[in-house]
Amino acid sequence: MNQAKRNEDQEQLLESLKVAIVEIDGDRAREAAQKIIAAGIDPRKAINYSIKEAADTVGQKFDCGDLFLAHLVMVGDLMDEVSTILEKNIPSDQLQRKRVIVIATVQGDVHSVGKNLVAVVLRAAGFGVHDMGVDVASSLIIQKAKEVKADMIALSSLLTTTMPYQKEVIDDLASMGLRSQFKVMIGGGPVTRDYANKIGADGYGKDAFEATEEAKRLLT
Amino acid sequence: MALSLWEILIRSKGGPIIEEKQYDLALFKKTQELQKKYGIKYDPNKPVDVEGAMADQIYWAGTELFLELGTYCTTTKRVIKVSEKELKEEIRSRPEALELGQGRDRVKMGYREVEGRQEPIVIAGIQTIPFSDEEMMFKISKGCAMDRCVDGIWGGILLKISAKYDVVAGSPSEIYQYRKATEILRRAITAAGRPGMIIINNAPTSVATIAMYDEGVGLRRSDGMVVTGMSELKVTYDDLNRTAFALACGVPIHGAHSSTIGGFSGNPEGAAITAIAGSLQLISVQRAESIRCGVTDSRLKSRVSRAQLWAAGTAIQGLSRNARLIIDGSIGDHPAAGPGTKQYLYEAAAGFIISTVMGAHSTGGTRKFVVGNVPNYGTPLESRWMGEVCKGAVGMSRAEAESLIKYLLGKYEDKLKDAPPGETFEKLYDQGKLEPIPSYLELYEEVKVELRDRGLQFRDQKE
Repeated sequence: MNQAKRNEDQEQLLESLKVAIVEIDGDRAREAAQKIIAAGIDPRKAINYSIKEAADTVGQKFDCGDLFLAHLVMVGDLMDEVSTILEKNIPSDQLQRKRVIVIATVQGDVHSVGKNLVAVVLRAAGFGVHDMGVDVASSLIIQKAKEVKADMIALSSLLTTTMPYQKEVIDDLASMGLRSQFKVMIGGGPVTRDYANKIGADGYGKDAFEATEEAKRLLT
Repeated sequence: MALSLWEILIRSKGGPIIEEKQYDLALFKKTQELQKKYGIKYDPNKPVDVEGAMADQIYWAGTELFLELGTYCTTTKRVIKVSEKELKEEIRSRPEALELGQGRDRVKMGYREVEGRQEPIVIAGIQTIPFSDEEMMFKISKGCAMDRCVDGIWGGILLKISAKYDVVAGSPSEIYQYRKATEILRRAITAAGRPGMIIINNAPTSVATIAMYDEGVGLRRSDGMVVTGMSELKVTYDDLNRTAFALACGVPIHGAHSSTIGGFSGNPEGAAITAIAGSLQLISVQRAESIRCGVTDSRLKSRVSRAQLWAAGTAIQGLSRNARLIIDGSIGDHPAAGPGTKQYLYEAAAGFIISTVMGAHSTGGTRKFVVGNVPNYGTPLESRWMGEVCKGAVGMSRAEAESLIKYLLGKYEDKLKDAPPGETFEKLYDQGKLEPIPSYLELYEEVKVELRDRGLQFRDQKE
């Protein structure tokens, strides 16, 4: 088999994995991942091409209304599963560590839709995401960020009266001497970039996609 | 045995344990299945269901969804289930009318039919916005209350205590400041000559909401209580705390629920089905006597996109045709555009027309969707608009409404993601006279004439 044919076959396999993820077809995605390994393709290529491209495509489909939040959750699960298959075949010293983000809606606030959306889009974009849910106290968020060695803390607030809790997390990090260990990104209905700057956050996202771009900018 | 809050609490402790994510995914799967089973299809060319057949299908699909999936209690991580027999009894036993407010400001809020002649109750005021100071809150609230086409007003919150300390949800400052804000609200309606009119406010936590009740200077039993459920068929014990207080004190419970297009309900058809299920949840679980049936969109900061108008409007119609419940629509209460712009008036009008024609009241107040922490972001003129449009749409047929809605959508639907922010009260009102500045009033009258020419019969025209 000549090199050109081998390259073509490789590209087809990588593409088939991408398409299977976008179509949320678990059987086909797992099979494609196994075939990629059996064909001797560097699994990192599959991670950097198939999964990344699938994440971008799914994000675009969500943005224009072809896919919904549930699809993003399912795609995230499938991407995790496929990544695990691929990563098992990468020498541990060559494994690229996923950037980890702890996300929560702050204390006193039970709004979940926006935060859920940000969490799944971040996950679909390849970040390791720990979603702590809603109404979460600053101390618990910081504890979790330390525990999972997070790179970033993402904080949502939908109420004017819960925005001070975003500042509280930043202030608590500073007082504990941990501020430089974590980037902090904030968002939510009443939150603005000006407010983010005012309270010393590193980043701000007005929606899930802007938040994801901001996370990429801050962590890569 | 009839359902009660206590039976609901037992089920919240003994129902099936399920991970929240699994519940969310089950909601998505079920709404997609049900729309196929019941032949539910959204046609963007028909933003209003003028026949009602689709509304009926949505009602039955939503009922099946509620009975099969149940309500997810995020406090106990369990599912609360209600039987078909219990649900029927809950619907049957709800009052056909509530009397709200006091004295000569008392109003009757009853069941409304689709295209009904019954005038809807309008609770305006600038819903839950931050105010810069006591004087400004008093002035704006008084202005909203003075307009005779509204039956009640919402309150908001003062941003700082003693102009210095932040108000923080879940802390003592929240209780203190919401209570103080409510006292200002009551003083404002008294100064407006309407001391018995309905006032509403809703704090982030139940404890601060309960603390606003005081027959003398705060909220009264006759004002009712808003019990907001979490999005998409969920409830917390904090929601049920409000219910418990209202039941103990004899306060009528007004439940509010929103499904989400793009959320776990998926498409507009799914959101319409979940909107019905959420309404039935409010009656059965939160023990509501009147219900807000709403639809949001995870991609938009407005509630009046074409798909939202269809989903919310058709769900309300389904409820109104199949259950004699007191329904609140309020679809036009959160425009993307800000006060002082034509787009605000167009967006609000579209939502309020659909609400009224489909058989609902509108009690959600007025406000730009996102106000951030900018204080005084609204004026009494938007309250007048809400009242005039809601009451003007009485008697309009669904076909007439559709024609007007299509016209209005043409004015704003491509601008929802980049809506004009508008201005604050300070820029739009003569504060001394408590009147809109001439240019804002002219803009208002211009849009009013525009809609009048297209068939909306404002009350001053009817009288």
